[in-house]
Amino acid sequence: MNRNLWWKIGLIVAILIVFSVAVVPTKDNPEPIKRGLDLKGGTHLVMRVNVGDAVKLETDQAAEMFKSQATKNNLPVPVTHGVEGDALTFTATIPASVPTTEYERLAKDYLPAFDMSRNAQGQMVFKMKAANASAIERDTIDHAVETIRNRVDALGVTEPIIAPESGNRIVIQLPGVDDPARVKDIIKTTAQLQFRLVEGSPGPDAASALASVPANMKADVEVLPGTREDELGRATGVEYYAVRKTVPVTGTDLKNARVTKGRLGEPVIGFSMTPDGARKFGDLTGANVNRYLAIVLDKKIVSAPKINSRIDDSGVIEGRFTAQSAADLALVLRSGSLPASLTTLEERTVGPSLGRDSIRQGVLASIIGFVALIAAVLVYYKGAGINAVLALLLNLVILLGMMAYFHATLTLPGIAGIILTLGMAVDSNVLVFERIREELREGKTVMAAIQQGFQRAFGTIIDTHMTTIISALFLFQFGTGPIKGFAVTLLIGLFASVFTAFFVSRVIFDVVYRPEKRPAEISI
Amino acid sequence: MQIFVNTKYDFVKWRFHAVAFSMIVIIIGAALYIKNGVNWGIDFAGGANIVLKFRDAVPMDKLRSDFTDASIQQYGPADARSALIRLPQMKKEGDYAGQAVAKLNHDLNPEAATGKVDLNFNGRDSIAELLFTADPDHKGTNDDARKYYGNVAQNIINKRSELGIFTNVGQASSAKDVTTGITGVLRDKTFAGAFNVLNQETVGPQVGKELQQKAVLAIIFSTLAMGAYLWIRFDLMFGVAAIVCIVHDVCVSLAFLAMINGEFSLNIVAALLLIVGYSINDTVVTYDRVRENRRKLKTRATLEDQLNLAMNQTLSRTILTSGSVVIVLVALILFGGKVIHEFAWILLIGVLAGTYSTVTIVPAVAIAWNNMTGRKHDIAGPSSQRARAEEPPRNEPKQQKRRAV
Repeated sequence: MNRNLWWKIGLIVAILIVFSVAVVPTKDNPEPIKRGLDLKGGTHLVMRVNVGDAVKLETDQAAEMFKSQATKNNLPVPVTHGVEGDALTFTATIPASVPTTEYERLAKDYLPAFDMSRNAQGQMVFKMKAANASAIERDTIDHAVETIRNRVDALGVTEPIIAPESGNRIVIQLPGVDDPARVKDIIKTTAQLQFRLVEGSPGPDAASALASVPANMKADVEVLPGTREDELGRATGVEYYAVRKTVPVTGTDLKNARVTKGRLGEPVIGFSMTPDGARKFGDLTGANVNRYLAIVLDKKIVSAPKINSRIDDSGVIEGRFTAQSAADLALVLRSGSLPASLTTLEERTVGPSLGRDSIRQGVLASIIGFVALIAAVLVYYKGAGINAVLALLLNLVILLGMMAYFHATLTLPGIAGIILTLGMAVDSNVLVFERIREELREGKTVMAAIQQGFQRAFGTIIDTHMTTIISALFLFQFGTGPIKGFAVTLLIGLFASVFTAFFVSRVIFDVVYRPEKRPAEISI
Repeated sequence: MQIFVNTKYDFVKWRFHAVAFSMIVIIIGAALYIKNGVNWGIDFAGGANIVLKFRDAVPMDKLRSDFTDASIQQYGPADARSALIRLPQMKKEGDYAGQAVAKLNHDLNPEAATGKVDLNFNGRDSIAELLFTADPDHKGTNDDARKYYGNVAQNIINKRSELGIFTNVGQASSAKDVTTGITGVLRDKTFAGAFNVLNQETVGPQVGKELQQKAVLAIIFSTLAMGAYLWIRFDLMFGVAAIVCIVHDVCVSLAFLAMINGEFSLNIVAALLLIVGYSINDTVVTYDRVRENRRKLKTRATLEDQLNLAMNQTLSRTILTSGSVVIVLVALILFGGKVIHEFAWILLIGVLAGTYSTVTIVPAVAIAWNNMTGRKHDIAGPSSQRARAEEPPRNEPKQQKRRAV
């Protein structure tokens, strides 16, 4: 054999080794080719971040700021209103007796993010600048991704994918998660924790709670629902509390939250404060001893204990938790609150047993298909059939190896894709072999026929592969989830098949039918 | 073994019959779509799919009364005790599948209210948390203990996957590494609930609409891209013929889908895209041969002759290649299971349609185009006697010195 051929054989062996190594499971890497959610079980979620929430909050805060600055500047406090369906805008009604220039100066100094105008009723209209609004939206998405990542990490999910997408969406993939209801709860809980003072006394409906508030405070409170309990701590219904609108301490002031045991051994959540939070919490509790402090989670009152003495850096939240719900709440409090609520747009969950069935059937069908394919090729092409089968096997090794190197996931359509790719890879061999047969029929020698067969089939093989590559690219571009996995296997397989059918198969022919031996017959 | 050697079939003669046949198939398909509408799968229509496996017989009456607007079918064989619940699309975005499952759990598993953990409904983490809190094996409260009970919980879930569903708590105790202490906790604090969620999917109205658009765009663009590629590589006539051929293959596959009343799902779109890319291969091989022959043929040959010659030359390759893919697809259809069943069927029909259209529809379009554009694709010949003398006519093999074995 000439040196050229040795080089080629060396290259093929090297490729075989490199790709085989990637596929063999090791201790550090027990699953070299990751199974997709449809095979492993798990949850795929697409959530929309309701960024309007965050923008609205910013607008509300600006309105509050406008009022408090008016007070500081000894101006009469304007009455502000949000605009229904428009998170960007609020209006301020100014007492007629005061010159508006004073307020305009305040707006210029303290509300730089807003454009100010006047409407027909003489109210000042503040509209958030588009650049500021989109900055808030961007931050909200980033913050939401970060928070969800913290929560998912705390759940101990291995290899999750949490990625922002266009349209204020976040795609979340959680392989191996087998309890979607709980995971969704944990992800979706906004977990906005607030400590707010209670005014008046609780009542069975919103109106009676509000009625117990002194008249001059009515504008500063908001009525929120909580749970009514009997003496033994059992839930007996809903109870409404009027709580102050101002939120002196929030969840962001928490340093840590853990499940501990309460007096009766029931699960409660113990929290500790950051230094800054401890100072605020100390001021709040110190100034309001003997009053009630509402612990508000996502606009619901978890509990409203009496402040017995000044509390600085730690406390507990009681509230009829089970072991699981206390653990989950501690988890979301530790991982921080979501800046906006989430809406589920799409969910796909595959339970572990369905994945198990799918993989068994998929693999069985593929093996049967592959064996049948090999048998057909061997019967039809005899000696050259062995050549084609070797090329196919190498194709399979390259395909699986590439998937391992690229960290591509194996999905059910992906398994179909692999076996289908092999079916198509045979096409290249068939093209070459049929061409060689034709050349033989025309009376060429074995060596000339092989040479011509490969040469003439080359252009055709490139063309057929190009067309399939084009459609695989579209599949990848437009596909989602498992379909993308299918497109990836298809693409890799196509590139591998050009190499095996054209290069490897040729080398095998060259090794078997060497020119110096002047072969007179070829088994094809 | 060799078949289809030196065939001389007159393919182009049959092209009008073939076109008529294809038209009939496509018209039947179109009529079915007009009559029954498109059976959009959940991916495009939106809504929710839930597959549940029940511990006892499927409570059909309960399901039917709870989900009045849903379609409820048995999933798999009767002894699998599984049901597929298909909820129609709602106007608002929301977690329909999750809500429906939560409601069923509430109604069918009264034990859940007592704070017991449902071994069929809950997952690994809930079981792990329960064992960790109870700590029957006295492992303490450190991370090693958490890991230890997590591992046991995983084994219990694996056992459940193996059995499909637990019919009693005792079965969970037979999982790997379950100690007597853990068995005690399982007996006291868990129960084997009424069902196990095999699969749940929710597609909101917005996502469904987007997927629909994407799917249609993907098929249209890839068809056009294919035509453009062939136009660049060959010429406009072949590019147009290729597009017609792809449209034909896709339409025939869709007609078949209508005939089996199959669901139009994302997998079907993937199959159609694959057909777009794959069925064209036969056409490319034929065109290649036509082009190669044009360079060699010196004698007079109409486009019809050229196509017939090329198709006969590549016939055995066409049959073999389609055959090898068909072998694989038949295996997938027979053994691949429910999830890829329709996918494999559509591909099979598409591949067969692709092969068929290569020898019928493509010549029909090419010949019609050639006739309309002044028969530019014919080879004018007969060229001079000199040329003929130099080049022996092809396809008349000299006496074969070396026979194939």
